[in-house]
This record gives sequence, structure tokens and C-alpha cells, in this order.
Amino acid sequence: MTDTLAKPVSTDSPGSVLPAAPSRRRRGREARTAWWLLSPAGLVMLVFTVAPIGYLLFTSFTDYDQRSLFTGFYRMAGARQYSDLLADPGFWHALIRSVLFTAAMVAGSMLVGIGVAQLLTRLGRVLRTTTTVVLVLAWAMPTVASSLVWSWLFQPGYGVVNWLLTQTHLFGDLTQTDWANDPTLAYLEIWLLIVWQAVPFIALTLYAALSQMPTEPLEAARIDGAGELRAWWSITLPYLRPSLKLITLMSVIWDFNVFNQIWLVSGGGPNGATTTLGVYAFQTAFVTFRVGQGAALAVVTTVILLGLTATYIRSLLRSGEDL
Amino acid sequence: MSTAQPLRRARRGGPGGSGRSRGGNLARVAAILFCLVWAFPIYWMLNTAFKPRSQVMTSTPLFLPRSPTLGNFRVAVTQTSFGDDLRNSVIVVGVTVLAAVLLSVFAAAALTRFRFRGRRAVMVGVLVVQMLPPAALLIPTFLVFDRLGLIGSYLGLILAYVALVLPFTIWVMRGFFLAVPVEMEEAGRIDGASTWQVLTRILFPLVAPGVIASSVFAFITAWNDYLIAYTFMKEQNQYTLPVWLATFSTPNTGTDFGGQMAGSVVFSLPVVVFFLLVQRKLVSGVSAGAVKG
Repeated sequence: MTDTLAKPVSTDSPGSVLPAAPSRRRRGREARTAWWLLSPAGLVMLVFTVAPIGYLLFTSFTDYDQRSLFTGFYRMAGARQYSDLLADPGFWHALIRSVLFTAAMVAGSMLVGIGVAQLLTRLGRVLRTTTTVVLVLAWAMPTVASSLVWSWLFQPGYGVVNWLLTQTHLFGDLTQTDWANDPTLAYLEIWLLIVWQAVPFIALTLYAALSQMPTEPLEAARIDGAGELRAWWSITLPYLRPSLKLITLMSVIWDFNVFNQIWLVSGGGPNGATTTLGVYAFQTAFVTFRVGQGAALAVVTTVILLGLTATYIRSLLRSGEDL
Repeated sequence: MSTAQPLRRARRGGPGGSGRSRGGNLARVAAILFCLVWAFPIYWMLNTAFKPRSQVMTSTPLFLPRSPTLGNFRVAVTQTSFGDDLRNSVIVVGVTVLAAVLLSVFAAAALTRFRFRGRRAVMVGVLVVQMLPPAALLIPTFLVFDRLGLIGSYLGLILAYVALVLPFTIWVMRGFFLAVPVEMEEAGRIDGASTWQVLTRILFPLVAPGVIASSVFAFITAWNDYLIAYTFMKEQNQYTLPVWLATFSTPNTGTDFGGQMAGSVVFSLPVVVFFLLVQRKLVSGVSAGAVKG
């Protein structure tokens, strides 16, 4: 270790004991050390994430298919994969489905999440702890396990949800209803699963924000005669807005990427009714092995997500996060 | 990290101190209802897992097992490829966690303790990579790994997982590094410590809790991954536990829901335990992208 930091006597901050603005030479050395420290992680990310995205782009301009997997042979196909994609109604349906489904999942989980966060602030200690534990348990369930549990809950014949719904006598006999094989019900089943798993993060994060909220403005509003709703709308909501914005953007990105739950509960069916962009890309590339076409699909999905991520990073920076 | 501050810690007692007086019965009823609904899937998983086989499928569901048994667990663990697949999971996840945490400690030190050109670009890159759609990375990685003979091998899965968890572990470690005041290092430097000594003697011990937190995050992400393992590992004895669980079936039965639920319990248990350990950290993870569901 040769670089013992003999501190240069600085002229621009007289009297300071701290190292002053580093000299150019020291700054150069600092940068070199930094890049050395960064290089192993940087290399892994370059090789296994950045380069693959480049290769994905390349593949989307080839006719890579099942045969290419065995022979390694493929041809450049120009923009054909993309023009095929635009002419494919399956693509447009998957795109629209992804957008609508994401909107429904985000709306559902945000609404319940905000409600539960608000609820947590009004509970005594016992109930608050109980609710927190329930939230954390739901959050911690791995998606593969929760998807299996869901399929069992909604199983036709012996599923407990069908039995419970039948007991209410509101919808008639539902015991044989096959949720995963009905386009609307399959959505509903998956939607419930996603909301169930998404609410804990939203509720706990917002509750943490709420417990940091100064109480005086709310009390002042009450003294001035504002009702609960009015006080919430004009004081709590503005206070939560930065957190809400970030959480919403993050939920949009996550829910747009949902794969496991759809794949395991409905497999994208029945008849492609729950096939979102991600599921469609996976099926195209790994089930029918039209890899070039799947790559084009994945490129389009990536572009959409990059747009969303840019918005997210911008609001992260605006909210004061210093990168 | 200024925005993370208000989100950081849930203090005891909501706004206005104990809300007991204000919320009243309505809040209590709502909370109880919510807990019943939200806990139900987990309760039903446990309830089914402990039922004797004959009580799993009944026309009127049994809400508590009569004579609870571990039979489903025994079947799930002994009559499937559980042993092989558990070993695969442990090896792959273990190596992933070690590698990812080591790399991210160095990377986070570089990103928080040094001024250099391109630092912000690296941070933005880390965030972007974290948000990429899974299929977009899966397709090219599969093609390249297939050519290199890495499909179906531990090494291929480990490399894919390290790349998968790195952005997040770097971000978590970075938070812990930022929390250590620079003055501590400067004090070390004044006492004549080298850069290396400052890192190893002063900084790393102080960020040790971050090492634990990011190990747990890396563990959960790699342990839970289904998509990559499902695509890479095609033989039953190559599966990891999520693939084992998703393809769960036992010989001589139709769908064995008792076994499936027992398998789900076994598979989820370590994750739940770790989750409870780092729950507080998770809540502060908003800006980090938190743990993906």
C-alpha cells in the first residue's frame, strides 16, 4: 500500500483539518481505485445484462428458429420480424391486455394498500401487530407457492372458494366452476392473487410514511371543523403524494412484468385469453421456438419498460434521491 | 437518500399517538375482516398440508384437519425428486449469494466513497437493469448459454442469478455505505491509514449489517426464481425447488393437493423466516425497487 494519504497542505481551506479538495493527481488515483472496485460487478452486469440486450436486438433482425438452435445457422431477416409482429393480431391483443391488466392490478392494489395503511394508524397495538404479521406473511410467500395455493383454492369440485361462494346462495351452485378455464374468471383469479401479494408492500410503506407525518396540521384542520375525509384529502394526501407516485410507478413496472402467476395459474389460457406481452414472448421463443419473433416481441416490451423506468428515475431524482 | 427518510421507520403509534381513541370499532372490525381474508390462503395451505389424504378432497371442506398428520410432508419429501432438487437449490443459491454480496460490497464502496466520472451513469444503469422485463434477458442469455454448453449446468444458473440479483444488492449496500459518515474515514486517513486500510478496517465492519440484509435479499430472489430455472434445467434431477414445486406430482395419484400444499410449506418456510428477519429493511426499500413479487 504505497498511497498513504499524506495530506497535502492546502491553501484554499486554511485552518481546516479535513483533506481539502483533492489535487488532480489524487483525484485520478481515486478514480482508478473506484473503477477497480467496480469492475467485477460491472463486468458481470455488462456481460450478462447489457450484452444480452444487444444480442436480443440483433436476434430480432434474424430468422432464428427451432432449427437454428440445433445447427447454429440463421439468416438476417431485416425488419421482417417487426412487420410480422405489427400484422399479428395476437401481438396487439397481448399489448392491450397487458396495459389493461396492469392498470387493473395497480388500481386494485393501490386502493387497498392506501386503505390498509390508513387503517393501521387507527388501530391499537394488538390489532396493528396482528395485521402487520398477516401482511408480511402474504408478502413473503414465494410466487410459485402462492400460485399453487391459488389453484387449489379455486379448484373446480373441491376448491374452498367455490364452496364458500355457493354457501352465500347469491350466485347459485358454483362448486364445479372452473375459474382458470373461463376468460373473465381466469383474469379475476389472477388479479386477486396479484393484489393479495402487492398490498403488503404498499400498505407497510405508506404506513411508515404516515407515522412520520407531523400531527399538528391534521389537528388544526379538525379544530377548524374539517371532517375526516376533507382533512385526509387536503392534508394527508398531499403529504403522501411523493411516496404514492414512486410506489405507483414501481407497481406499474412490476405488474407489467408479471409472469409466474399467469403462467402457473392459467398458462396464458384459456385460448390465450390471459396472454400478456411477457407470456406471449416466452411462448413464442420457448414453446413454438420462433426465437427471432420472440426477440422482436421482447424488444418492444423492453422499449415500453424503458419508457416507464425513465419516468420512475426522473421522479426518484425529483423527490430528492441523490444518485 | 433524503426521500427515503420519511419512509424509513414505522414508529410506534400513528399520527396523533395512540389511535385507539379515534379509530373506534369500525376500524377494529375492518382490520379483523382484512386479516381474515388476507390470512385465509395461508391458513388453507397449512390446513390442507396437515390433513390426512382422505380429508383433503371432501364435498364439504373441513376447516380443521381431524387427526392432523405429517403424511403429506413425508410423501412430498420422499416420493419425489425433492432430495436432488433441494441440493441443486442450496448449491446454486449459496454460491449466488456469496458472489453477489462480495461483488456488491466492492461496487457500493466505489459508488459512495469515490468521485469519478461516470458514477451517476453507473447508478442509472443499475436502476434500469433492475426493471428490465424477464423475457428480454432470458431469450439472449439462453441462446448464448446454449452455445456455450451452460444450459443444464450449475454454472449457467449461478451466472444468470448473480446478474439477476446484483443491481438490487448493490443498491441495498449503497444505502448502508451512505449511512456511514465520511468523517469516520477522514479521521482514519488523518491517522495515516491507507485507502485499503480505511476500507477494510473502518468501512466494512460498519456496513456488516448491510451484508446481512443484501445476503437475505439475494437469497430470496434466487431461491424463488422459477422462470430462469424452468427454462435452463430440463431434467428432473436438475430442477431447483421452485420448478420441483410447480411440477409437483406424486406417483399413483391424480393431483395430490395435500402433497402440493405440504411442498409449498416446505419451500416457503425459509423465505418466510428470512422475511420476518429483514422486514423493517424491506419497508425502507422503496427507492431500491424492493423485493420483486
